[in-house]
Amino acid sequence: MKQLSCVGTGHCPVDGGSQTRLICATLAFALFCSVSCFAADAPAVQFDTSHIGPRQMEDVTGRNIPRDWGRAWQTLAVALEQNRPDLLGRSFTGFAQQKLAATIATQVKTGLRTRYIDHGHKLAAYFYSPDGGAIELHDTADMEIQVFDGNDLVHSDRITLHYIGLMTPAADHWEVRLLESVPSF
Amino acid sequence: MCRILPAVCLAVCLTATVSLAAQDLQLPATVAAGSGFAIPTSGSGSATLYLVGPSYAAKRQVQLGEKILVQPQEVRSAGRYLAIVRGGGTSQSGSFYVVAAKSASLSFLAHPSRIPVAQRDGVIGVAFVFDKWHNLVRRPETVDFRLAAKDAPPVIQSVRSRDGVAWALMNSGHKAGNAKFVAALDGIEETRVIQQVAADPCHLQIRAERNAKGVLVETAPVRDCSGNPVSDGTVVTFTANGPQGLSTVDVPIKKDVAQAELKIPGPATISVASGVVMGNEVRVGGQP
Repeated sequence: MKQLSCVGTGHCPVDGGSQTRLICATLAFALFCSVSCFAADAPAVQFDTSHIGPRQMEDVTGRNIPRDWGRAWQTLAVALEQNRPDLLGRSFTGFAQQKLAATIATQVKTGLRTRYIDHGHKLAAYFYSPDGGAIELHDTADMEIQVFDGNDLVHSDRITLHYIGLMTPAADHWEVRLLESVPSF
Repeated sequence: MCRILPAVCLAVCLTATVSLAAQDLQLPATVAAGSGFAIPTSGSGSATLYLVGPSYAAKRQVQLGEKILVQPQEVRSAGRYLAIVRGGGTSQSGSFYVVAAKSASLSFLAHPSRIPVAQRDGVIGVAFVFDKWHNLVRRPETVDFRLAAKDAPPVIQSVRSRDGVAWALMNSGHKAGNAKFVAALDGIEETRVIQQVAADPCHLQIRAERNAKGVLVETAPVRDCSGNPVSDGTVVTFTANGPQGLSTVDVPIKKDVAQAELKIPGPATISVASGVVMGNEVRVGGQP
């Protein structure tokens, strides 16, 4: 996950030279950004269609799938960090949306937040239904997952995760209908 | 603020360090969805358990040195779960995977809903296998796809699912009418209805007869190559070519036949077509 633009650099009413002021401003900026205004850009997604079947993927679909997969992860990261189920409908539908919404509901209840720092995805299309109505994907994601209790960081680890995803077409994009992490492919 | 900032930064770093240096909890590698289990702990005093997984996040007080019971309803969704126990100045953590339980439902996509008869590989069935909590069942399972029309033996294909999905291409039957398309697995059945309709006309035949007003042309009952009556409303085109030029009339089939009255006084050759299918030609003489 990358940071979006952050506004404000803090204010340091201290005695001392401009160097101290600069250090203070930099520290304040970094802290402000890390705590207050983490927002996600779409992560990098490498897409492999060499093992797809039974239908071959059209060029346009081959461009849209990694784009929409990346957007879905971007949405997921913001929704789980800010506990915003209202964002999920942009990219998720069906069981995937229901389960993520349930996660957020229980996070809100317990005062928890989860931050996904996304270091990229290797996405492979595995099954493309003959009628073009569903695509099953294997995703190997490089993730840093942080769990917060309020603002208290209770856990952080960086891990390679495997996900199975199912995408179905909506009006002008593909939606994630199923998203499950699995021990291996 | 600058006096506070370094302290905050230090606190954040220390928290992260404690987290990174956390001991591992003894957790099973995988658990079937909806199955409870116990997590042994060491030490004494109270601690906080955090359990974070797909569709669930929990925080509750536990006693160190005692087993922590994870309830079946806490691990219903398949995926990776994090368990963290913090207390007594230590942090223990670990992860485990919940995998799908027994197959309980099929998500069945059938395509198309309407198809001409005798289409090779024209009927598509895709079935996703889920357990009772909507987790994808990745274990291979045998899904039976059955296409059955009235008064015809059903066609069955058995397919092993892979990564939760099984699919089949089937030929449409030879008889027009509704066909039941079923995906079945261990007593679970999902049914869709596929409407099989007559295909293109076959052996299109016309006869023509001159009368006082012109020439009456009429097809024989229009049927496809399997003998099914072609649907009413299907357009048949009559073309008359004679000394007076070319004239064309489009007529829908009504009660199996199409007929038209062509106002041509002179001799003509009349042909018939429907879609890409051509029929016979007949010649008629001029008016006496």
